Amino acid sequence: MSQTSQHLAADSTTKQTENGEPNVTNQLTRRPRKTLTARIDPATRLIAALSLVAALLVAISPSKVLADAPSGEKVYLDIEKDSLKFGFIKLTDCAPIVIAKEKGFFEDEGLQVEVIAQPNWKTLLDNVINGNLDGAHMLSGQPIAATIGFGTKAHIVTAYTLDLNGNGITVSNNVWEQMQENDPALNTPTPKHPISAKGLIPVVRQYMDEGKKLQMGMVFPVSTHNYELRYWLAASGIHPGMYSSTDKGGRTDAQVELSVTPPPMMPSTLEAGNIQGYCVGEPWNQQAVTKGIGVPVTTNYDIWKNNPEKVLGVTKKWADENPQTHLAVVKALIRAGKWLDAADKDGKLVNREEACRLLSLPNYVGADYDVIKNSMTGFFFFQKTDKREMPDFNVFFKYHASYPWYSDGVWFLTQMRRWGQITESKPASWYHETAKSIYLPAVYEAAAKMLITEGYISQSDVPFGTDGYKPATSDFIDGNKYDGKDPIGYINSFKIGNKDPK
Amino acid sequence: MSFLEMNNVSIGYGPSNARTEVLENVNLSVEENEFVAIIGFSGSGKSTLISLLAGLESPDSGIVRMKGKTIGEPGPDRGVMFQNYSLLPWLSVFQNIELAVKQVFPDMKKGERKDYIQNYIDMVSLTSAEWKKPHELSGGMRQRLSLARTLAMKPEVLLLDEPLSALDALTRSVLQDEIIRIWEEDRRTVVMITNDVDEATIMADRIIPLTPGPKATLAQDFKVELPRPRDRTTLNFNPDFKALRNRVTKFMISVNEEAKLLRTSRNLKCPDIEPISLAQVG
Amino acid sequence: MKYKILKALDIAGLAVLDPIVRLIYREEPSEQVRKIILFIGIPAFTFLCFMVLWAYIAPRHTTKSGEVPTPAVVWDSAKSVWVFHERENIKEDDFRVSGEERQKRIAMVSAELEKLKPQLAKVDALLTKAQEQAKAETDKAVAPIMAVFEETKAKYSADSTARKKALTDLAGTIKADDKSARSEYLKKVEAHLAQTDVEKGNLQQIKAQMDAVMNRKHQGLIEARLAKNRVAEKVQFYSKRLENLGDNNQQQKVLAAKESLDKEKEKFSQASGRALYFSALKIQRAEDRLGRIETSTYAKPWTFPAQIVRSLGCVFLGFVIATVIAVPIGILCGLSPVFMAAMTPLISLFKPVSPIVWLPIVFIIVGGFIDDPEQAPVHPAFLSSAITVALCSLWPTLVNTAFGVAAIDKDHLNVARVLRLGFWSRLFKIVIPSALPLIFAGLRISLGVGWMVLIAAELLSSSEGIGKFVWDMFNNGSSQTFAQMFVVVFVVGIIGLMLDRTMIVFQRLVSFDDAPTAI
Ligand SMILES: Nc1ncnc2c1ncn2[C@@H]1O[C@H](COP(=O)(O)OP(=O)(O)O)[C@@H](O)[C@H]1O
Ligand SMILES: [Mg+2]
Repeated sequence: MSQTSQHLAADSTTKQTENGEPNVTNQLTRRPRKTLTARIDPATRLIAALSLVAALLVAISPSKVLADAPSGEKVYLDIEKDSLKFGFIKLTDCAPIVIAKEKGFFEDEGLQVEVIAQPNWKTLLDNVINGNLDGAHMLSGQPIAATIGFGTKAHIVTAYTLDLNGNGITVSNNVWEQMQENDPALNTPTPKHPISAKGLIPVVRQYMDEGKKLQMGMVFPVSTHNYELRYWLAASGIHPGMYSSTDKGGRTDAQVELSVTPPPMMPSTLEAGNIQGYCVGEPWNQQAVTKGIGVPVTTNYDIWKNNPEKVLGVTKKWADENPQTHLAVVKALIRAGKWLDAADKDGKLVNREEACRLLSLPNYVGADYDVIKNSMTGFFFFQKTDKREMPDFNVFFKYHASYPWYSDGVWFLTQMRRWGQITESKPASWYHETAKSIYLPAVYEAAAKMLITEGYISQSDVPFGTDGYKPATSDFIDGNKYDGKDPIGYINSFKIGNKDPK
Repeated sequence: MSFLEMNNVSIGYGPSNARTEVLENVNLSVEENEFVAIIGFSGSGKSTLISLLAGLESPDSGIVRMKGKTIGEPGPDRGVMFQNYSLLPWLSVFQNIELAVKQVFPDMKKGERKDYIQNYIDMVSLTSAEWKKPHELSGGMRQRLSLARTLAMKPEVLLLDEPLSALDALTRSVLQDEIIRIWEEDRRTVVMITNDVDEATIMADRIIPLTPGPKATLAQDFKVELPRPRDRTTLNFNPDFKALRNRVTKFMISVNEEAKLLRTSRNLKCPDIEPISLAQVG
Repeated sequence: MKYKILKALDIAGLAVLDPIVRLIYREEPSEQVRKIILFIGIPAFTFLCFMVLWAYIAPRHTTKSGEVPTPAVVWDSAKSVWVFHERENIKEDDFRVSGEERQKRIAMVSAELEKLKPQLAKVDALLTKAQEQAKAETDKAVAPIMAVFEETKAKYSADSTARKKALTDLAGTIKADDKSARSEYLKKVEAHLAQTDVEKGNLQQIKAQMDAVMNRKHQGLIEARLAKNRVAEKVQFYSKRLENLGDNNQQQKVLAAKESLDKEKEKFSQASGRALYFSALKIQRAEDRLGRIETSTYAKPWTFPAQIVRSLGCVFLGFVIATVIAVPIGILCGLSPVFMAAMTPLISLFKPVSPIVWLPIVFIIVGGFIDDPEQAPVHPAFLSSAITVALCSLWPTLVNTAFGVAAIDKDHLNVARVLRLGFWSRLFKIVIPSALPLIFAGLRISLGVGWMVLIAAELLSSSEGIGKFVWDMFNNGSSQTFAQMFVVVFVVGIIGLMLDRTMIVFQRLVSFDDAPTAI
């Protein structure tokens, strides 16, 4: 029995004794868990823990008591709201939302969902906050930044991670040629990967000698792209600039200046020479290849293997007011994730072509099917001559990808601190508490349990029993080790960036 | 005390450095039910005089009175027929009259009002043009409409500013008769501006010449003591009529010469040519 | 009859057709023919020239970011926008349809799908073949260049190493006091570097050749892809239809929900004790669910025609707001010089502000009044766009109204004075009617400005409409993106023209002199 479940159980028990209603799912997200833990002593906790399973299952299907085995019987939730609006940005990683709609997973939960393209990340967030949207496809950093008040302040939570990986860093042809000169190993049609930013150093120097700075584009100040690009540059000793209370553009001390450019503008801005490189999601790296205006040098898979990318964000208020609807949404999304990552015996992703077909509809991603297909079906063109298999370029469900890990939240917080978006040092406990107030594994687990009962997913698809922290990993381009449990140590392990006292 | 009077009225336009004194020391008194014609050259200040009587302008000095009371704001009791018709171009013939009638007789019933208006339209022979807009009318038709509108207000004083100048001779005489008829019917006070000595002589009880401006003033009046009703066919052979007409014309020409001299003495380069026909200079 | 038609045309602002009608009635045929040539023939000819020029230039102008679409491509893309609209409507219809009609449709769609299956297999095979062929061709063309490249590279690198070695060797032999040898040596190193540059250039050239080969378009492949996409899209469409006619169908869902409710009621009648309570609970929930399904609406995406209608609604709302604000203020300005003086700084300050600046401000203000967008009678983004349109478009009306009122003919005012009209009747009977032609001229400009501004406002506020369509399509970055922009150009242009014509008609209706109102 996990930590969170215990809290939940405690919650439900108190409720049960209060009004005798075994309506546990309604309580799932109503109260901040922390205060409850403080109030309940260990003895009650034990009893509560025992009664949880019973209570939960009773709520799910009253006639059944205690059965984890799939029954195949559909569980209908008491949804508070049946027509929802979700926002998304035209990037392939919105796929789970689109699939849940188009494959009827939302409808199976009794939801009619409108999926509405948003013009940019800022508007998307605003629309979620002001209630125009019920939820949205968000950058992992957005709920975190909003909650801690970097940018617009609003408590946003997430119970579902939409995908891993999926971004690339592209440089202009000119910069690529110079990198090749600097590092002859790159001067072949199929250079060895991962490509570090080492080859970029002389270019950066040259620009600085001329009194200019190399310019690179990313999509949003708290986007994964910003942190990835910074990570990549800093890993080779190039300083991407610091944020501070006075420098909201993050250019203090920069050797390479980063600026926000909307994804669709990236290729043309690159071609126009306003920026010399960018970090963005698909299809905009592949566009640079097809149009011959730039060369993707690396993907975020190479920077950090299986890094979290986008999440489904909703406001805390919405989640509190619509707990059952939230569960229903997460159920549909888990099914969509599973569907997207379904593979045959040989590991071939069987549903991706259909997914691409759907995503290429003009009201969704809308790019050409053939362009979307490249990366979504496990290939990536680095140059015209360099097409590689990247089966994990888009991960939606494998590796417990869609679980809302606290450690993911902590990682983004450490990067925000490293680059000065968080201006003052914080104790380690703050990192954990903040992550826990944003990521809601309890909702995910409750939804997953219902799906197990319904027979859609299996026990092993969900990391039951985890404390919410992924094991420490060194799968980074610089081999640095990340352990979510030690945020301060991690922040201090970088050469470039803020350092904090233990 | 006369019905309508002006005492030492002066008026001018423009700022003090470029001022034109239009009228100076004008004295006029009109008795109730009298028909007065004021005759003068173009630009001498006839319309200004009418504006003063109507209350549209107030004098710089002097007093304008009606029934002993100083004239303040204009009102429908002094029906003005403007020289440039002042018709409302977005309203039809009927509506133009209706606007005035509605305002002056607010209690009139709808059907009654329609007949009333139609009556005036017929009177000025605009019968088939009720729904035409002013821009679809000829100059003469507009003038007739303007007249009909003024008459329809049934004012105590009719102030007519060259009411018939744009009409052809035939219509002109018909309307002259019509105005006289109306005047005789309910005997109202009329001040009419005209540049036609014949017209003045045929219609008015009294003709008052206005000397040419600037600083125009009213000259000695000519009483018209022809018996009414005056028949224009016989009148042409009436020696009194002819004599009066000639006297007035002569007087007008002489004041004009004087003025011309005055003006040439001021500006010697001015060409020595002046229109003689009064009919041309309205 | 003839004059009635002519008059109607005149009022409708379609005076262009005048000579045609006259010609039909055989009035001065030669004169009419001349007019037709002048007013219809010449414009048509210029338009034709424009199209021809466009069709000629477009394919010859390519940038890396894309090609300028030809008229044919634009037409195709307009059609596909329409097809998308129709398909969404059909899907929605399928969701609602019930009874026999549903069965009929299922049969029809299934048959269609059956027919498509072999087609899909065929285009698939064709595509594979085309891909292989293209790959083979490319490989064949690239292989020799690649070989040359590798060979040259190897040779150059060997040469370079040799040269370097020779130079370092030579360095050892140079004596300390041998100045000329030293300067000689410097020259040699320079020559070596120059040689390296040349070699680099040569390699670059070979690479460019390779790129050119890679960039070569394979017509067969492109066509095969298009064919495949066409069939696959159809399959997808029909499969979705089948879903919406089947399990997804509203009526079907209602039936299923009813059935489970009945079952539960059955159970309820036999249950006892604790089970009775749960059964009752279940019935309650099943009833709720049934109610929800019965009232649910199909979540249809916005399609371009729907967005056009919404944009028209938005511009209309904005226009009404602008009119309601501008006309009274304009009248006040015209009536009172004091008020005019008071307003002048505000007007001059706000008039040049761009919609892009207004929108965020309006957004915040509107957002402050609307707590829950779901409950609001109008969508806040829609309202914000409309207000932005109003803010940008009210100026011509305001200025024209003020001017129209201030410039009112003194004679007209004299009439009012003589009639002793009160303030209100003077306003409504004299002042406003007399200013009306100018007010309408202002309104016409305002509507034009509003229509232009609207697209930008919608684009920024992501209020559904043409502006959002533009931004979405731009974000799509698909091969059709540019063509779709051209479609928007024409749609916006044509609607703008129609709005303008409508305003001309109104302008004519209020104008009292025969002044020309339009070109
Ligand atoms: N509003 C005004 N401002 C300045 N001058 C005026 C104005 N109205 C009339 N005048 C001048 O007063 C003189 C008399 O004008 P008016 O009374 O219209 O002459 P009439 O009606 O006899 O032809 C003219 O010289 C004219 O220029
Ligand atoms: Mg005059």
